[in-house]
Amino acid sequence: MTSIVRDQWYVAAYGREIGRDLFSRTICGESILFWRTEAGRVTAMSDRCVHRRFPLSQAPSHLDGDRVVCGYHGFTYGADGVCVAVPGQTRVPRTARLRSYPVVEQDSFVWVFIGDPDKAGATRIPRAPWLDQEGWTTVSGMEPLKARASLLVDNLMDLSHETYLHGGYIGTPEVADTPITTEVDDEAGIVYVSRHMDDAECPPFYAKSTGIEGRITRWQDIEFTPPCLYKLHSRVAPVGVLPHEDGTDPDAFHVEVVYAITPETERSTHDFWAVARDFALDDESVSDFLRESNRTVVLQDVTALDVLEEVLTGEPDGYQELSINIDTGGLAARRMIARLAEQASGAPAAAAVPAGR
Amino acid sequence: MTGGMSLPPPRHVLGGERVLRVNWLPGSDRLRGRCHCGAEAEGEDPTAMWEWLLAHPDHPAGGPDAPVVPDVLPPPPAHRVSDPAVIRRRTPVLV
Repeated sequence: MTSIVRDQWYVAAYGREIGRDLFSRTICGESILFWRTEAGRVTAMSDRCVHRRFPLSQAPSHLDGDRVVCGYHGFTYGADGVCVAVPGQTRVPRTARLRSYPVVEQDSFVWVFIGDPDKAGATRIPRAPWLDQEGWTTVSGMEPLKARASLLVDNLMDLSHETYLHGGYIGTPEVADTPITTEVDDEAGIVYVSRHMDDAECPPFYAKSTGIEGRITRWQDIEFTPPCLYKLHSRVAPVGVLPHEDGTDPDAFHVEVVYAITPETERSTHDFWAVARDFALDDESVSDFLRESNRTVVLQDVTALDVLEEVLTGEPDGYQELSINIDTGGLAARRMIARLAEQASGAPAAAAVPAGR
Repeated sequence: MTGGMSLPPPRHVLGGERVLRVNWLPGSDRLRGRCHCGAEAEGEDPTAMWEWLLAHPDHPAGGPDAPVVPDVLPPPPAHRVSDPAVIRRRTPVLV
């Protein structure tokens, strides 16, 4: 039984990672070759030559204009994955084509569709416009996680762990102590978790980047669109400073923390992270600080989740866990992912609804 | 800071017609769930709360914390009580 949800768009890379060099990444268990055509369009196709499975990303495989030449025997493929030349004969077998993947470049990400390509057009690609928008400055990265994607979903949906795992960076006592509200819209495919702290300690992550001294009003609004894109709308302001009646919010600092949770395999994950801010836009020192701080926080999660994966893998199926109020959002996310998985596998969606205790 | 940014109100954010909501009641350990049909219930266990909400339109009476009533009740342990008045007032002990 696979835990990976198919028939979905996943973030495969940042646009900046894909150029005129052959680039390979395993997404949802599939080894995919990415490269940019001479016109600048990103292409995605299987990273295995149809002949003897040699990786097309492996030297001396190379690009020749808009064609990939296999470094083993010279099988040559076009940007659509169709083989156009084989060595020593003029006839190219009709079945000689690489599997190609629907690709969209958007919001600084390269999205790839995993599943039935005919379903790609009708499947939502969630947006994170701040990552590539005037008025925002973004730092970003990706850390490999040796743990199943669901562990990262659990982690990000319950930010009370910031208090314990990320103390001294983004965690303060108020995070774990403040109740959350959770909303679920199955039709829109959104789980929304809101934690609004009226009077909280300002963690170094925000104190040093915003210059706020003293206590803050801190809002954390999570908007997760399973299975891949997670957005944390973070609002930080001096205590008591609220948005104006008309909805504008000129006196607060806004940070959009975006994660793309992309399974590499059943038990490993690409942990894409980005931090966009609407202040100190041209201040390189703020960018450097936020990049380093967020990467440190992500690596704290990676260390913890890598250990957790190892422990869970060694335990028999059906291990017991206990959920409390802080897990309300995480439980909703798990259920929505299970429903998406059942839809993709053809089972009736209603089966995702528990029958009761 | 951009002055033109508008923020969602702190609570009901999603605007769909079939939104399920669970609020952790401030100052308590209680959760309050509300279905899009208007049914509401309180409870203390988030797993049970989601199951109760997802049972729409057949939300179990008594809310998510109501104990499951077995089909056949066991006999009350009469030997523990000898006062007939207590026995008459007593509700069966469920397994």
